[in-house]
Amino acid sequence: MKKTYHTVNSRVPRVDARAKATGEARYAADLAMPGMLYGALLQSSLPHARILNIDVSRAKMLSGVKDIVTAKEAGTVKYGVSPARYDETVFCADRVRYVGDEIAAVAARDPETAQEAASLIRVEYEPLPALLDIDSAMSDGAVLIHDDFPGNIGAEVHQEFGDVEEAFKGCDIVRTDRFVNKRQDGGFLEPQACVAQYAEGHLTVWSSTQSVHYVQRSLSMVLGIPIGKVRVIKPYVGGGFGPKAAVNTIELAASLMSMRTGRPVKMVFSREQVFMHSRARHQFVHELTTGVKKDGTIVALKNTCHLDGGAYSSFGIATIYYAGSLLGAPYKLANMKYDGYRIYTNKPACGAQRGHGGVAARAAFEQQLDIIAHELGMDPVEFRLKNIMKTGDVTCNDFNMSSLGMKECLDAVRDGSGWTEKKGKLPKGKGIGVACGFFVSGAGYPIYRSETFHSTATIRLSEDGGGANLYTAAAEIGQGSDTILSQIAAEALGVAFGDVKIYSGDTDFGIDLGAYSSRQTLMSGHAVKAAAEDVKRQVLEVLSDELNVPRDDMDIENGIVIFATGRPDFSAVRSAYAKEHRGWVQSSLPEGLTFKEAARLAFLKRGVIVGNGAYKPGELGGKYKGAAVGTSPAYGCSAQVVEVSVDMGTGRVTVDSMTDAHDCGFAINRTNVEGQMQGSLSMGLGEALFEEVKFDGGGRVINASLGEYRIPTSLDMPNVRTIIIESNEPNGPFGAKEVGEGAIMPTIPAILNAIYDATGVRMNELPVTSERLYTAIKNKVK
Amino acid sequence: MLFLPRFDYEEPRTLPEALDILSDLRSDTKVIAGGTDLIVNMKKGSVDPARIVSLKRLKGIRGITRKKEIVAIGSYTTAADIARSDVIARSFPVLRKAALSLGSPLIRNRATIGGNIATARPAADLPPALIALGARIKLRTKGTNRTVIPDVFFIGPGRSILGKDEIITEISLSTLPPFTGADYIKLGHRAALEIAIVAVASRITLDSPDGVIRDARIVLSAVAPTAVRALSAEGALLGEYPSDELFAKAASLAMNDCSPVSDIRGGADYRRDMVRALTIRTLANAYREACGQGVGL
Repeated sequence: MKKTYHTVNSRVPRVDARAKATGEARYAADLAMPGMLYGALLQSSLPHARILNIDVSRAKMLSGVKDIVTAKEAGTVKYGVSPARYDETVFCADRVRYVGDEIAAVAARDPETAQEAASLIRVEYEPLPALLDIDSAMSDGAVLIHDDFPGNIGAEVHQEFGDVEEAFKGCDIVRTDRFVNKRQDGGFLEPQACVAQYAEGHLTVWSSTQSVHYVQRSLSMVLGIPIGKVRVIKPYVGGGFGPKAAVNTIELAASLMSMRTGRPVKMVFSREQVFMHSRARHQFVHELTTGVKKDGTIVALKNTCHLDGGAYSSFGIATIYYAGSLLGAPYKLANMKYDGYRIYTNKPACGAQRGHGGVAARAAFEQQLDIIAHELGMDPVEFRLKNIMKTGDVTCNDFNMSSLGMKECLDAVRDGSGWTEKKGKLPKGKGIGVACGFFVSGAGYPIYRSETFHSTATIRLSEDGGGANLYTAAAEIGQGSDTILSQIAAEALGVAFGDVKIYSGDTDFGIDLGAYSSRQTLMSGHAVKAAAEDVKRQVLEVLSDELNVPRDDMDIENGIVIFATGRPDFSAVRSAYAKEHRGWVQSSLPEGLTFKEAARLAFLKRGVIVGNGAYKPGELGGKYKGAAVGTSPAYGCSAQVVEVSVDMGTGRVTVDSMTDAHDCGFAINRTNVEGQMQGSLSMGLGEALFEEVKFDGGGRVINASLGEYRIPTSLDMPNVRTIIIESNEPNGPFGAKEVGEGAIMPTIPAILNAIYDATGVRMNELPVTSERLYTAIKNKVK
Repeated sequence: MLFLPRFDYEEPRTLPEALDILSDLRSDTKVIAGGTDLIVNMKKGSVDPARIVSLKRLKGIRGITRKKEIVAIGSYTTAADIARSDVIARSFPVLRKAALSLGSPLIRNRATIGGNIATARPAADLPPALIALGARIKLRTKGTNRTVIPDVFFIGPGRSILGKDEIITEISLSTLPPFTGADYIKLGHRAALEIAIVAVASRITLDSPDGVIRDARIVLSAVAPTAVRALSAEGALLGEYPSDELFAKAASLAMNDCSPVSDIRGGADYRRDMVRALTIRTLANAYREACGQGVGL
């Protein structure tokens, strides 16, 4: 029973296209207010030290300085991302733990004065040993970065499903490989920025964030203002990719200084500060042991992972779980053991980034599967097809694949790339590789333990029914949620796309956990759909009374009321509507009863029509410790085939083509789905070939700019063949699930497998710079 | 946010006016001609001039003109101007290739040839090609004129013979002898927005299409404090018949004509190996060009 849709599954242009193309769109750094002050931070210049004294006297004397705050003024309420690891304070009271750790903030009449004042603050330090990598942090006798965490192990996870050691005994091949990626930066175009305004007991913060809700809660908790008096508004945001999913120091510092001065305070990160704040992808060191049978059946996986966490936990408590749990699919795997250790080091804290926790693990695993396929003499696509899960399968760690078009994805990329004609037949220096992956469609639980709804939505009809205003706290950060949610509202209500106007990213509009874990389309989409259906129900109830037609015999589609059994006489409704609009230039009404006429009637009978929707996931699988990280109402999956050229004389890799098939359940907006696929592939290509945050011996980032930290340029990206697979997810609105993050999963291993095909060399360390690959080729020839 | 420090700003309309300003020899002055390097470094705080003299409004120092055998490039000519010049494309395609490898389209719209020379960065994109082509740099002060070759212009990273009161006004190139070919290859991480890990420019002139090598230049970039000529490699080519073996021999010699260091962009050993790889390739491409039509006139 394929339904005809009017707005979803289309290619309607984005609602923010015009504002962004013309430059009208205003971002947090564009905002200004009368009397506004500008803030600046003083950040630690040492990676690890005790603070003996902070002297602000010279800074205070500088003309134009309005406020200076340190831990003394801010207090030492601990906060963080997960209540299980609140390990940060607004400012360091007695100890700094990385170069960039925040010590003080200044508010002044202009940004130059604020920066100058910050530079006049004198801090007396007693240096402590700097632990800049996992090994030194875990070494015997290493100083503790946080006193409560012996061995500097900030978190550890031990899980076993099935019996891995027993299962290995029955395997024909058991092999172990080590894999390491590098710390990444989010690389979003817009550095974090905010304006805080405190007046008459109410705090309003405009911020470049992925989650107004989490920022609101953190501000309320740390600053001691009731939640109802904290409003967080997200203007246009230029990308997030994870690092903007939690509160940051400038939001806290600007709010505090606004409370103290009574004036709005603006703070903006420089690009260098973006790197120092980080909260992006960890460095993961994976050791994977996989066992398979001769016939190609994957039997067991043992995964040990060490994460270089940086100085604080941030999202790391979730990251460490994802680094294990996201290997349970998309292959049937009965036995899986995971031991994870997140280590505190004296570097900026790592957190979440697209494909949270699973990207390096996936790269390691898919490359190892490729090695095993070659050892077995099996085609890598056939090997994967033999093992993949299908709709209805449940992983050993209890993830329910309520829809899974994995086979369709693999078939599509094999056929779409010409795999069969190319694999094993390309000349030296040319290679082709394949990989698969999957990802959650929204975290099953909020980051703090709560029974809260994950998303709410409200739709208010205009009094003439000509417009439906949609209110949501969901975060449009460039990924397209404003467009998607507007489409869902229009389709569910039965009106034209252009009749929906969305107001989003504001805590005053409801609860929404925000744009992370690929949750907006499924979770906010559910809430919006429910709100639209609520509005529709109310309008049809009034109509039902008026026309004496059972409510369930009516529907609204494309702006017209549909009657299941014959058209009743609605001339009274129509003439009343016409009388109210005497003298108006009206385009002639269609034969059928319009939504506008019905909505007007509903307003006249009931007042403003407001519909509400709220969503939280139903019961999810997994009773074991840590099951809350990874369980999701749905899972997207994807397969990719990548072709590369390797310059054997220099080691330089060029990605020639990428074929990507992604199962997003149902494409609300096909163009947007393709955009997310392309964006994911670009980020994966960067991580595979270029990106690495580098430090000097003093813990300072030495490539804190987009000149020396290399995200791919348009010339580095090949054209991508994008193939949308729609498996119709039962738990998603209109059958939709994620695409924003899952699409990155196969990219790195597909590139690595193609590099092997081209060179005969396996790369177990990212990024595959020309130097690294050249050296590996040279060593192999020796 | 990063801010520019305070500075005085002069925007002379004529060359004499500009030279007059500079004639006070103030050491806290910087000349700006595009600013793709200077502004970034000022924001970072690594240079802090009290006065900036802009060449933006000067008449007569932008554009490419040809008089018989000489092509003159005004010092304010941008990399984009060079990349889209028919004269350059016809007569000095290697310079076009070098200009197109500089930065990105946006940066090429601002960066000037004079600025690219004056900043004296060891990995600058235009100097290797200019050295290979035997370019001449015209320098002027209020009272003097001199013409130097780029080989002697650069002293070290960020250092050159350019006087405090001196402005680069023009870069001139003589059309190349028959049976000449040249190439420039830049190895970077990405396809654009790159500072070279290693770059090599080579040029050879043959006696005749099947004759010996009469003249050769090999310029190595990002492997020494300045772009350097691989003199022993050049010497090995002179008077010899071109062949893959000869180019490989020259390339091996070139590895010792430089002094690469390990830094954020690459290791010294890798750079040395890349000097060999790129020298072979640029020589082979130059040879192919030389015994084909050569470059047009």
